[in-house]
Amino acid sequence: MRTEHKEQVLSEVIGRIVERVVRGANHPLGPIPAYTPSMAQSGGGAPAAGARRDSDAEQAELVLLDTLYHERQRLERDPGAPSARRDRVFWEEISRALPRHAEAERLELTRRIVAHFAGEIIGHFSPTVYQLTTRVVPPALSLLLHALSPRRLFSSFPELQDLTSRLVIRGESEQLRGLRARGTVVLAPTHLSNLDSLAVGWALHFLGLPPFTYGAGLNLFINPLTSFFMHHLGAYTVDRKKTAPLYKESLKEYATVTMELGYDNLFFPGGTRSRSGAVERHLKLGLLGAGLRAYINNLKRGKDRPNIYVVPCTLNYQLVLEAETLIADYLAETGKSRFVILDDEFSQPQRIAEFLRNIMGLDSTIYLVVSRALDPFGNRVDDEGRSLDPAGRPIDIRRYVSINGSPEHFPARDEEYTRELGREVAAAFARDNLLMSTHLVAFCVFRMLVADNPGVDLFRLLRTGGTTESFSMYQVEEAMIRVLDAVRQLARAGAVRCDERLAKSGAEQLISNALRYFGTYHRRPVLERRGDRLYAVDRNLLYYYHNRATGYGLEASAATGVLAGSAKERS
Amino acid sequence: MSQERESTTRRQSAADRPVIGVLGGGSWGTGIAHLLAANGNEVLLWMRDGDVAASINEKRINPRYLPNLEIARGVRATLDLEEVCGGAHLLYGVVPSQSFRSVMRDMGPFLRADHFLISASKGFEIETFRRMTEIIREETCVRRIGVLSGPNISREILEGQPAATVIASRYREVVDAGIASLHSPRFRVYSGTDVVGVEIAAALKNVVAICSGMMDGMGFGDNTRALLITRGLAEIARLGAVLGADPLTFSGLAGVGDLIVTCTSPHSRNFRVGRLVATGSTLEAAVARLGAVAEGVSTTRAVMRHARALGMDLPVTEGVHRVLFAGENPQMVLDDLMGRSVRDDIDSILRRRRE
Repeated sequence: MRTEHKEQVLSEVIGRIVERVVRGANHPLGPIPAYTPSMAQSGGGAPAAGARRDSDAEQAELVLLDTLYHERQRLERDPGAPSARRDRVFWEEISRALPRHAEAERLELTRRIVAHFAGEIIGHFSPTVYQLTTRVVPPALSLLLHALSPRRLFSSFPELQDLTSRLVIRGESEQLRGLRARGTVVLAPTHLSNLDSLAVGWALHFLGLPPFTYGAGLNLFINPLTSFFMHHLGAYTVDRKKTAPLYKESLKEYATVTMELGYDNLFFPGGTRSRSGAVERHLKLGLLGAGLRAYINNLKRGKDRPNIYVVPCTLNYQLVLEAETLIADYLAETGKSRFVILDDEFSQPQRIAEFLRNIMGLDSTIYLVVSRALDPFGNRVDDEGRSLDPAGRPIDIRRYVSINGSPEHFPARDEEYTRELGREVAAAFARDNLLMSTHLVAFCVFRMLVADNPGVDLFRLLRTGGTTESFSMYQVEEAMIRVLDAVRQLARAGAVRCDERLAKSGAEQLISNALRYFGTYHRRPVLERRGDRLYAVDRNLLYYYHNRATGYGLEASAATGVLAGSAKERS
Repeated sequence: MSQERESTTRRQSAADRPVIGVLGGGSWGTGIAHLLAANGNEVLLWMRDGDVAASINEKRINPRYLPNLEIARGVRATLDLEEVCGGAHLLYGVVPSQSFRSVMRDMGPFLRADHFLISASKGFEIETFRRMTEIIREETCVRRIGVLSGPNISREILEGQPAATVIASRYREVVDAGIASLHSPRFRVYSGTDVVGVEIAAALKNVVAICSGMMDGMGFGDNTRALLITRGLAEIARLGAVLGADPLTFSGLAGVGDLIVTCTSPHSRNFRVGRLVATGSTLEAAVARLGAVAEGVSTTRAVMRHARALGMDLPVTEGVHRVLFAGENPQMVLDDLMGRSVRDDIDSILRRRRE
């Protein structure tokens, strides 16, 4: 982002959020929510739950108290959080000032709090974080780091041009390129790995596009490998541990303002890396809704090219760097799952190096599939940037948001529009999910495991493996033939995608290909062949890779295969 | 928040006021058009039949469906979809469910992003098992979609007897516009957000009504009817819960309210079809005698065709299906229903949902 814009964005975000706090229910976007159930229950420091405060001034005060409450809770839960010491000092000051402040001082207090959040979102250097980032980075990893800045990468490691062939871009990349000239683009990828943002950055570079503004988790800023580069990209900081509505609204407003300034944005609408390995079906709508908000603001200002285009895309890997940690987290007891993981494979340089070696050595490919663009209401968009109805006729989309002829925000309505957009993005994810040998082989074997152990619940099955120790290669091949058939049919109908290998190779070849992958990178092999039997060594990972192929009704094909297989074996 | 919303919708409904479109000149379509006009709205009523349209415009009578009603002055019949869509902002869709998609397709070119469209049609599309609001979404650019349903025997409402209905939409402004146009001292319009639940209740109650008519035709009394209505409601609610509805919707006007009236009123078409079939008429003869669409017949087919895929056990619907389409004897089907193993009165699906 250009420096002068950085200032502008900062003051714009602060101004808008302060105005919302002050105007409360009279603001077109509605008040910042202040009551939360957790507050009502614990009561500590928060106003009584039943008390209705109607006046704007009291509502505004409530928002500040609520924010203070959320932040204190966060610092208590997570005393070692980045900048915790600084934050504690800041909130202590606020809490001393808040109960005694005069009406006239509230505006100043509000501004201080919002500026505190906005400054962090836009990116500040805390001294501790900075020390971490400047540590010496193992030279083997520089290639990863340079992925963030491909131009620099190629100038210092010309031989790495080779690696570029590992990233294959499919789908509507031409449309993406064209739409940038007609409006502002929001790229919305699936999220499996922290390498995703690097892969997308790299892909954008190949497409000849400048980096997109990108909300990166705070952990990426702490991670010594990435923080330095994050700060030098269009990245801003997202701290998912901050739960105060005022913070979330500031974040959303930041994205909105950058879009209005014409900066293309990148969001992961799943919110976080998919823990289960499955394609995201339920999306976080908050940031997606920023697109609609920016669109309406653009219309209100009579901006030249007001349109916002949402472009879903999928990132597809044979193996996932953090698979072990992610699936373990997914399987951890409900409620104990960690929303933010800091100590995964991504923080271990050797693991990243191993992973990359495998990508190079195994002739593996990362696929990025660009889906057709959507408008903020979930309509398809053509190459000229016009929204189309289901029959392909252009729609005048301004009318979705016009009230008596002029564009207006209307939060309840806009939330519904965004929900429809979310549904369409999820549908695009499912269609453009690209399956590979590892997914389908894991899928077949896991479904066989399930079929062999009727009535055994998932957790027990994963822990004990049920009664099945191994599978005959013949059985697996049978199931694979059926599933492959079904997948190819789905792919022809446009319901899913396959990589080249899956489209062309036979079941036997695909199984041995998957086994090669499964045996290399992960600490324990996912599947292992001994003689003509196949052993599920790491069932959690088996389940993880299997999940990528769920949601397509393939279960029936796999199960039929098992029954036929075991019947034949018995006879 | 609510203040803001109210002021916005007030402004919006003022813009809607001038002209309201109604699609479908059947008895309920004509009835809704009349109610809207009686409420002071200008109404454009679209239909295919030129003779009926002429009669409405010249004599204020729909001779085919409502020969005894003098249709309010504000209703103008037209054969031109473009005129309706161009003139009106708020539209009611009241065409039979099996031709709903083709009407939506025909309207497509004339619909705009600022149209509100409320479906008052009750049923599923047989082929696809789609609800009417899903068809609107699939065929048009309209996003602000709603559904209207309730215990609404049009004849009684048009006589001015007190009645009520529900309009549900995820978009509050659609509900508000619907209420502003249709609510009156004699016809209360309640609001809701559970579009799926209202549509499923509206469609499925017709199937139960056919069964109720059959039982009436077989000479059974009120105990039997109460049994059918209650178990029928449980069946509707179970299907609804699986398809994503809020089970509480089925205890409302669009659920049990509508079910009671359709299963007990001799004016109910589906009830009449059931009674005719149970007293020896063939389905074709019964439908011909009715001279109007009995939605329950096609809903029965639609549900049974897809019930297996849903993995659901729907005894009432299945029983009706056997009588209507497999020519089985109603008495034997009833014996089967009564001979089924008994289970919990309140299904566990609904309990879990509530918790």
